[in-house]
Amino acid sequence: MNTNEWALIIFTVVLQMAVGSFVILGGVHFFASRRSGIDAADKLSDRALLAIGPVVVFGLIVTLLHLGNPLKAPGAILNVGTSWLSREILLSLLFSVGGAIFAFMQWRKLSTPTVRNVVGLVVAVVGIALVYSMAMIYRLFSVPAWDTLATPVTFFITTFLLGSLAMGAAFVANFWYIRRRNLDTQNVQYNLLAGSLRWIALISIALLGLQFVVIALNLAALGVQGTEAATASIEEIAQQQGVILGVRLLLLFVGAGLMSVFVYTMVSSETKLRVVSNMAYAAFGLVLVSELLGRYLFYASMVRIGL
Amino acid sequence: MTKQLGFYANTSACTGCKACQIACKDKNNLPVGLLWRRVYHYSGGGWIQDPDNKDLMIPNRVFSYSISASCMHCQDAECVKVCPTGAMMKDENGIISIDADRCIGCRYCEWACPYSAPQFNEAAGVMTKCDMCKDLVTQGQNPACVDACPMRAIEFGDLEELQAKYGTVNAIEPMPSGEHTKPALVITPHKDAERVGAGTGHILNLAEEI
Repeated sequence: MNTNEWALIIFTVVLQMAVGSFVILGGVHFFASRRSGIDAADKLSDRALLAIGPVVVFGLIVTLLHLGNPLKAPGAILNVGTSWLSREILLSLLFSVGGAIFAFMQWRKLSTPTVRNVVGLVVAVVGIALVYSMAMIYRLFSVPAWDTLATPVTFFITTFLLGSLAMGAAFVANFWYIRRRNLDTQNVQYNLLAGSLRWIALISIALLGLQFVVIALNLAALGVQGTEAATASIEEIAQQQGVILGVRLLLLFVGAGLMSVFVYTMVSSETKLRVVSNMAYAAFGLVLVSELLGRYLFYASMVRIGL
Repeated sequence: MTKQLGFYANTSACTGCKACQIACKDKNNLPVGLLWRRVYHYSGGGWIQDPDNKDLMIPNRVFSYSISASCMHCQDAECVKVCPTGAMMKDENGIISIDADRCIGCRYCEWACPYSAPQFNEAAGVMTKCDMCKDLVTQGQNPACVDACPMRAIEFGDLEELQAKYGTVNAIEPMPSGEHTKPALVITPHKDAERVGAGTGHILNLAEEI
């Protein structure tokens, strides 16, 4: 198993998950505050927001391990004029710093909710730009398997799928924490949790469907292209690493599909909340593993044209 | 237009002896695993078996030729564009080289180059590549590969002059098309050379040779 790019596998998946979490969290917070007021919405999302921080820091440290010379890494932002890699690193830093500022403001309730919303929105836009720049890095004419529309689409699916499921798991953990301390008066938090999980389940099922279509279309498109490099890439993904592709698709189907259906249908019944909670954790775990395997396959499919 | 130095490769004269490859390795003191200039053997064709005499194989359009390739010092170089630090630079003579002090070893140029020109030095943690023997060239000498060729099949000089002398073919199979990066290379095609994208043969080199 070729694990040369393990640092990049972890970095790209983790950062995309963080961006997706941030955006999904913003959406959930927006709707939750309209439904139950800003205090209840803050209670739902603040701890989840703080959880994103360590994940981003972890991702940034791991990516340094990809470099032959990590100590010289600061130089990597110098060529933003033409290099998507420079842009990616610059945007990663902006997203991290902006996210940290926003989290601090939100935690200490600095300034007004409107100002905080604007800051959050700016950080979310930087995050989306970051995922786009990550995808553009791989739009190299020298690597047909990467130079397709499937690359940005898949990166954004990873972003929102993992972001949703990560936040689902975080909401569940936050909910039980609040329950244990008896802070959930009149079941406000339960209702918010149930509402968010239902939406997260729907988003997951939709993205799962899209992911399957993109994988199939991309393999077909590479097959039609028929160049030596494209054919070698298909062989690598579908034959050499066929077992990994199968496991990835199975985990994705079970985690984002079956479990989301269960969560969606069972979350309205409070007596089944334990089961639903465990399922939300498991769905996140399975899809995280599936996405890491998918990214592994992405790097494994790297076959260059030419000499 | 600024000056652009380039290489000329006469594939109809090249015998595939690899003297250029070894001269390059020697001059640049390259460690095991790094070859800034490589000689590819490209071959195709087949045999038809005589149905009545299974031991009789009749050759059918069998061909083979060699091509010596290093960095092409492209005019529209992908490696220079993608390098995040600006360590990959094109100088006033069109020569592309790496500033090892600035290279962070991210290996992005390695993905981007269709000629396998930038190569990673594990021990040093940086990318390395052909610099057209800049030091020799500034003293008015030839790059090591040029002088080593017993067939005089490699030349170097101003690209426009090379093109005036030998034409503008810059790619044959198994090389990538020159349209993306505009390689500073002129080729005299071997008589059996196949057009880029229409190749029927394959590279014969063993994995350890390239």
